[in-house]
Amino acid sequence: MSMKGTPLTKVLVYALIVLAVLFSIYPIWFAFLASIRPGQRLFSLNLAGMFIPLDITLENFRAMLFEKDFLMWAGNSLLVAGLTTIAAVTLATSGAFAFSRFRFVGREAGLILFLAVQAFPGVLSLVPVALLLYRLGLFGSQWGLVLAYTIGSLVFTTWNLKGYFDTIPMELEEAAMIDGCGPIQSFIRIALPLARPALAVTALFGFMAGWNEYVMASVLLSGQTDRYTLPIGLAQMANDIQVPWGEYAAGALMVSIPVLVLFLWLQKYLESGLTMGGVKG
Amino acid sequence: MGVTYRGLRKYLIVLFFIAPTLLGVLMLNVFPILFNVYISFTNRNTYHYQTYEPAPEERAAFVEEHPALGAFAWDVLCPVMPALCCSPDRMMVYCLREPFYDNYVRLFEELFTTSSLTAMGKLVLTIVPLIAVSIAAGQVRKRTLSPPATWWWWLVAAALGVGLWFLLDARAALELLFDTGSFFVVMFRTVLYVVACIPFFFVFGLIFALLLNNEWLRGKGIWRVLIIVPWAVPSYISALIWQFFFRTEQGTINQLLGILGVQGPSWLLNPGTAFFAVVLVNIWMSYPFFMVIILGALQAIPTEQYEAAEVDGATWFQQLFNITLPLLRPAVMPAIVLSSITTFQMFNTVWLITQGGPIQGAGVPGATEFVMVHAYKQVFQSRNDGLIGAFAVIVFIILFAATLYSMRVTRITQGAYE
Repeated sequence: MSMKGTPLTKVLVYALIVLAVLFSIYPIWFAFLASIRPGQRLFSLNLAGMFIPLDITLENFRAMLFEKDFLMWAGNSLLVAGLTTIAAVTLATSGAFAFSRFRFVGREAGLILFLAVQAFPGVLSLVPVALLLYRLGLFGSQWGLVLAYTIGSLVFTTWNLKGYFDTIPMELEEAAMIDGCGPIQSFIRIALPLARPALAVTALFGFMAGWNEYVMASVLLSGQTDRYTLPIGLAQMANDIQVPWGEYAAGALMVSIPVLVLFLWLQKYLESGLTMGGVKG
Repeated sequence: MGVTYRGLRKYLIVLFFIAPTLLGVLMLNVFPILFNVYISFTNRNTYHYQTYEPAPEERAAFVEEHPALGAFAWDVLCPVMPALCCSPDRMMVYCLREPFYDNYVRLFEELFTTSSLTAMGKLVLTIVPLIAVSIAAGQVRKRTLSPPATWWWWLVAAALGVGLWFLLDARAALELLFDTGSFFVVMFRTVLYVVACIPFFFVFGLIFALLLNNEWLRGKGIWRVLIIVPWAVPSYISALIWQFFFRTEQGTINQLLGILGVQGPSWLLNPGTAFFAVVLVNIWMSYPFFMVIILGALQAIPTEQYEAAEVDGATWFQQLFNITLPLLRPAVMPAIVLSSITTFQMFNTVWLITQGGPIQGAGVPGATEFVMVHAYKQVFQSRNDGLIGAFAVIVFIILFAATLYSMRVTRITQGAYE
C-alpha cells in the first residue's frame, strides 16, 4: 500500500524517516565521537562536538586493541558465540524437524513446555544452573557457557523454525520419497534448502545469544579472567572508578561491528525468516 | 500430514531428533524451576545458606529413629532434600519452613485482608469496561462477516473506566495496596511498564514499516538497516550510553535542553522521569523488531486487495483500517505476546540505567524495580532466596497462564496441533 507520491507527502515521509534514523543511530554516533576524541571524555562541552568529530585520533582503538585484553576477550567471545551458533542451529533444526513432520504423543505438551520455561524469571535460574554446571565439572569453563547459551536460545529458535517448516508443503518431500528418498533424506535435500531464511535467523539469534550476553557470563565465568568474554571484559572496564570512556567507546563499537555486519548480510532473510511460531504473515 | 514411519520405529526416530533439545531444556530450564520451587519452601537466606552435611552418628540416629525408612531413605533423601534431615534452629543450614508454605503466607498475608481485597476489587472494577469491550469486539469480529467499526466502543469504555476511577477513589485503593509489601508494588509497576511500552512498539513499528513500504521510496535497504541498528547493538552497551544521556549534570539530554534555555530535570532521581527513561530506552531498542515483522507481513498482503479497494474509492486510511490492520493481526499478535514477556522480564537495560532506583525508602522496592531487577537484588544483594523463590513461582504461574491464554486468543499455535 503506497501513499500517494505527491511532493508534499514525499518530503514528509523522508523527513520522518530521517528523524527515526537520527533517533536510532545517535547513541551509537555519540559513542563513535567519544571513541575518536582525544582523551578519555565521554562528553564534549563544545556544542558542535556533540554532533560532529572535531579532533580525530585512533589512539583509543589502538590502546584498546593492543594494550588491553580486548583481543583475548574477542577470541573467547568468538569461540563461545561460534560454538553456540553451530549447536543452536543443529539442535533447533533437528527438534523443529521432529515437531513439524511427526505426529506423536506428547508433541503438544513438548511445545507448550518450551513456552512455559520462558515464563520463569531467568535471573533466579542463575544459581541452580551454576550449581548444575559445577556438578558436571563445567563451572567456570567456556563449555558450560556454550551449553547454557545454546539451551537458552533453543526455545525461541525451535518454535520459529518449526513455524517455518510447517509452511513448506509436505508434498515436495513426498514427491522425493516416491523417487526413493527416505523421509529424513528428503527432508534434508528438499525442505532444508527451502528453509534457508529461517536457518539464517536461527544462526543470527544463536550468535547474538553468545556474543551479547552479560549477566550469565559474569556469574558462570566469575574469576576466570583469561576466559572472559567481551561483555564481561567491557563491563569490568565500565565499573572502574576512573572509567577510560574513550577506550570503552572504542571497544563498544568494535563489539557491535560483527553483529551489525551479520545483520546487514542477513537482512534480506530477516523479514521472511521470522515466522513468530507458526503464523506466516 | 505425517511421515511414513510407524509404531516403535517412529518413536525412536522422534526421540533421536528431540532428545538433545529436550535433555538440555530439562537440565537447564526445568531443573532450575524445580530447584526454585524447592527453595521457596525453605528458609534459605543470609543466615541459613548451607546445604546440610550430616555427621555419621546422625545417620545412625536417624536409622534408629525411623526403622521403617531405614538407611536407604537417609542416603537417598539427604543429598536431594537436606532440609528434611536437619532441624530448623540449626544455624547456617537451611531447612524446610514450618509449615512448608510459610514463605507464600508471608508474601501474601497483607494482600488477603478484607481492606486489601476491597481495594483490589475497586481496581478491577475500573478496568471491567475495557475487558467487556475487548470481549465484545472479539465476538463481533468472529460472528459477523463485515464487522462494524468498534473503535468508539473503546473510547466509551475508557471514559467509563476513568469515571469509575474517580467514583471509587481508586487512587486511595492503590496507595493502600502499595503498603501491603513488595509483591503488589513490583508486579503492579512491571505490568504498568509493559502496558506503557508495547503500544509504542506497535505504533512506531507500524508507522515506519508503512513509510518504508512506499514503492517510490529510494534507498529502502539503507534506511532499514540504519533503523535496525539499535536491535543489533548489545544491550549492555546501549544501556550504558543511555544512562549517560540521562545524567543530570553532563548528560546529553540536559545539555541539549540547556541550549534551549530549559533546566532539565534529574532524570534518574525522580520516580516519574526514571520510569519514562526506561520506557524510552526500551522503545528505542524494540520498535525496529516490530518494524521488521510488520514489513514482512505487509509484503505478504496481495496487492489485488488494495487495487479492488482503490476501484471502490476507498481512501488511504480506509484501506489501512479495513485491509492492512486486520491482515497484520496474525503476524503482529505473536510478536506482541513475545515482547510482552521479554519486557516483563527485562533486566539488563533497567539494571544498567537505574539499578531499580530511585530508592523510595529502606526495604521498599525502588521506582523502576521490576520483577527481574527485584529478583536479582533479593538473590544477590539481600540473599532472601526462600522468599524470592516463592515470589518467582507465583510470577511463573501468572506469566505462564497469561502466555497460554494469549496463545489461545492469538492462535499462535493454530495448525500446530492438528
